[in-house]
Amino acid sequence: MIRKVLYATLASLALTVSAARAEDTIVWWDFLSGGDGVRMKAMLEEFNKEHAGKIKIDATTSEWGTPFYTKVQTATATGQGPDVMTYHESRMPLGVSEGVVSPLTPEELAAAGIKASDFSPANWKAAQGPDGKQYGVPLDIHSIILYYNKDLLKKAGLLGDDGKPKGLDGAANFDAALAKLTANGVVGLSTATADNATMWRIFYTLLSQQDGQFVKDGKFLDGDNLDKATTAIAEMQKWVKTGATPAKTEYPASIALFTSGKAAMHINGVWEVPTMVDLAKKGQLFDWGAIQIPTFYAHPATWADSHSFAIPDRKGNPVDAAKRKEVLDAIHWFNEHSLEWAGGGHVPAYLPVQESAEFKALKPNSDYVSLAKTAVFDPVSVLAGVASPVYDAAGNYVMPAMNGEMAPADAAKQMRDDLQGQAK
Amino acid sequence: MLRSKRSEVITAAVLMAPFVVIYGVLFVYPTVKMVQLSLTNAPLIGAGKWVGLDNYFRLASDRLFSVAIWNTIYFVILSVAPSTLIGLLVALGVNRLKGWLQSVVLAAFFLPYILPVSVVFRIWAWIFDKDFGVAQYVIGPLNGGQHLSIFRTIPLFMPAVAFVTIWWLIGFNVLLFIAGLRNISSEIYEAAGLDGASRWAQFTRITWPLIWPVTVLVFTIQLILQLKIFDQVYLFANGGRTDATIVMVQYIFKQAFQVNKGGLAAAAAVVLFALIVILSVLQFQLLKARGAR
Amino acid sequence: MTASVESGADLVAPLAARRLARLRHLDLVGLVITLVTLVAAVFWAFPLYWGLVTTFKHEYEIVQPGFQIWPKHFTVENYVHVLLQTKIGLWYLNSLITSVAVMLIVVATSACAGYAISQLDFPGRRFFWWMILASFMVPVSALIVNHFILMSQFKLINTLAGVVGPQLVYAPVTIIIYKQFFDSVPKDFREAAVIDGASELQLLFRIYLPMNWGVTTALAIITFIGAWNQFLWPFLAVSSEDKMNITVGITQVHDAFGVSYGRDLAVAMLAALPVALVYLIFQRRVTQAIMLSAGIKG
Repeated sequence: MIRKVLYATLASLALTVSAARAEDTIVWWDFLSGGDGVRMKAMLEEFNKEHAGKIKIDATTSEWGTPFYTKVQTATATGQGPDVMTYHESRMPLGVSEGVVSPLTPEELAAAGIKASDFSPANWKAAQGPDGKQYGVPLDIHSIILYYNKDLLKKAGLLGDDGKPKGLDGAANFDAALAKLTANGVVGLSTATADNATMWRIFYTLLSQQDGQFVKDGKFLDGDNLDKATTAIAEMQKWVKTGATPAKTEYPASIALFTSGKAAMHINGVWEVPTMVDLAKKGQLFDWGAIQIPTFYAHPATWADSHSFAIPDRKGNPVDAAKRKEVLDAIHWFNEHSLEWAGGGHVPAYLPVQESAEFKALKPNSDYVSLAKTAVFDPVSVLAGVASPVYDAAGNYVMPAMNGEMAPADAAKQMRDDLQGQAK
Repeated sequence: MLRSKRSEVITAAVLMAPFVVIYGVLFVYPTVKMVQLSLTNAPLIGAGKWVGLDNYFRLASDRLFSVAIWNTIYFVILSVAPSTLIGLLVALGVNRLKGWLQSVVLAAFFLPYILPVSVVFRIWAWIFDKDFGVAQYVIGPLNGGQHLSIFRTIPLFMPAVAFVTIWWLIGFNVLLFIAGLRNISSEIYEAAGLDGASRWAQFTRITWPLIWPVTVLVFTIQLILQLKIFDQVYLFANGGRTDATIVMVQYIFKQAFQVNKGGLAAAAAVVLFALIVILSVLQFQLLKARGAR
Repeated sequence: MTASVESGADLVAPLAARRLARLRHLDLVGLVITLVTLVAAVFWAFPLYWGLVTTFKHEYEIVQPGFQIWPKHFTVENYVHVLLQTKIGLWYLNSLITSVAVMLIVVATSACAGYAISQLDFPGRRFFWWMILASFMVPVSALIVNHFILMSQFKLINTLAGVVGPQLVYAPVTIIIYKQFFDSVPKDFREAAVIDGASELQLLFRIYLPMNWGVTTALAIITFIGAWNQFLWPFLAVSSEDKMNITVGITQVHDAFGVSYGRDLAVAMLAALPVALVYLIFQRRVTQAIMLSAGIKG
């Protein structure tokens, strides 16, 4: 009797041990919270279900920005850290210089079916280091768009028959449109004028639309780029000065202004699309739409960044080859399933999905997917990227200028001097 | 005699041992390393080359560093004396009450202390929110009918953060003051009352002098604590003009984690440490001299 | 400080008549002081109340103009997601374990060291005292990277012990306070007990500690609270959800974007709730203990 129990116990132990050994765990760190977090969690569950018994992704989230990147730094430098992590492409030069990301060899990428031709050239390049090596695989392209209230625009005569805004292209036209809306007693444009990230994104968009370059050959806002920067900041300042955009508005308040029907337009990231969609579904939102940011100057362009996957460079405890293979296979899976991710408002980086019929039919993404063609990624500099000195500079100079506390020319100059000084 | 001296030393050794081990490993060693690091150009983690006092010279010529020093001192001026004084006043007020009323009132002042800084931040950011905060009902009329963003208006930032900090941490001071007040026997007050001393006289002649040691203690502790301010300033300034309101510990973290200059950050930390030592020793001597009258 | 006895009723009785005459005059000022205290207490408590009541409102009600002191529609929807779909129970448990550990170790170590420095004479006494003062003045947050490297060398990253470790040096103020309060214990106690043949340890545990029970309680509470509310170190030291404490865990919470004043406040409140409840329940005990600390002095 006892022997039978003993054998049974041993057998079940053996089974659990072998089963445990058969299922490999991938440790995953991301900074995706909010709606993005919910969506990614769902995708992770789907992945784990599909690969049950073989691979399991164990994911933890840290706060977006400085907290996440600080943790990655300290962990990798001491041989800790995950097997895979999300990483903003805008921060790749900084990440490479810190030594936190490990290069992905062409062979292992090919083995997982990840090809450069499946991504837009700018997107693929933005995940490379200055040495030309590939450090990340993009998942999406996310940008800022113009959300609008169809009813309020219609009342001001700014809505075309196709339900899309008209008369917004060209800085002068845009300003005139704002004036019309303000005359109607409506907030023309609400945006987070107290948030440095938002300031950066709008500024960089307006700069790029003038063919301006933020960094060139290690020089910040060199030559006539300084004037273009001044022009961009001056335009932003005008919106606040004329009362069309409320000054010093915090991020959640800027959204609330729009969703409560007080503001006709709202500039924010694509990640707030689910917010609008959910509210509309509950019947708590007006007739709304979203388009690419209007072209103020020479040609269309929008700031864009990209969530990419990277494998950390753990000092003394690198991710072994077998695990790397599993990670890259998983990344490929996420790319193939990025239509789900697009539900969060993003544009899938993986071209087969981006150009698929299903994505083309996805609303409202298809209304602004045109931005992907003229998307401009953050400047390639160790001072740029999320939670970097460049973002800080936007808060220290662009923000006060937009809110009327600094002259645009001064703001541009001081920003240039500050960043140039740090570039030593 | 000899034996009792020896046993005294052994007892002391036993009593001090845990402290010595813990502090030796977790304080002395890292601090020594930090000073070492300040003389190199090391990144956040890893070794660096010896550069002598180069980091210190860099700090001296970095405008942002002087801004950080000034902001820290400004914040201390705004928060330490007021919080000490308010703590004493609250303790005096609470001390007069009895029974359940005293418990309730004490809880009202002490509850904020138990909150983590994230809750304090969320509550006050919400109360002062430019668009939807309840404080705008008071601020608006004072500002010509316009809502005002307190934390994004630079001249108001430090006072506002000091205000929030005092609200948050007053419980600690109140607790110490109450313990100190209770140490003053009621007989002295009775005797003074008999002699016809007014309330004010009782306060200035009895309470104030007798509570002076506790006042000095509270003031010194607050001074040292607030010189190390970080969380509130970081949270309330996040996303905005962080450079204008930067404080020392923030500067240290910026150099360490954002700019990846571990050696420079260590040098800044050493300077902060020196500043704290100088200021606290100075003020302690000053206050002790006054109290010795 | 003169010795006194709390209940001096027999001394007061003959003086009562004279005091009564003064009472009528003093009462007005006293009343004003009490009123001011009460009003101040209401103002002090309001922000916490306001934050709390906001968490029970719907988001759309939160951004409505107007001042609603009580929710129009009381709701717990802001809490539901966090409570039901996360490992919040585990985070609370981790917080409890690490906070209690820090509290016990710090208070015990500090009382012993504070006593030794205050009452005993041994070589290096001054040096240790200066070291304690210095450790209070060093910005400990600057040591955080060194702590991380140390803990990783001891293989304590992502363990509860690793979370507790560095926190033990966050509050040298406990030793300082103990030393101050031990210093102020009248010497006659000590002399009397020594004559009776008491050892140092007996002195510590039978006289000095009991006389300062209020301080011990206060320091225990403050240390516990400090440990519970720690964020930066536990955040860096722990990478798996199962080992997170509550302050770190709540930043894990995945919930929709958009306007989330109520939700953000609710999530933050959950981190503070247990400690608040514990304080409120044991509040009487705490204040009594502190009040009592000065009682037996005679």
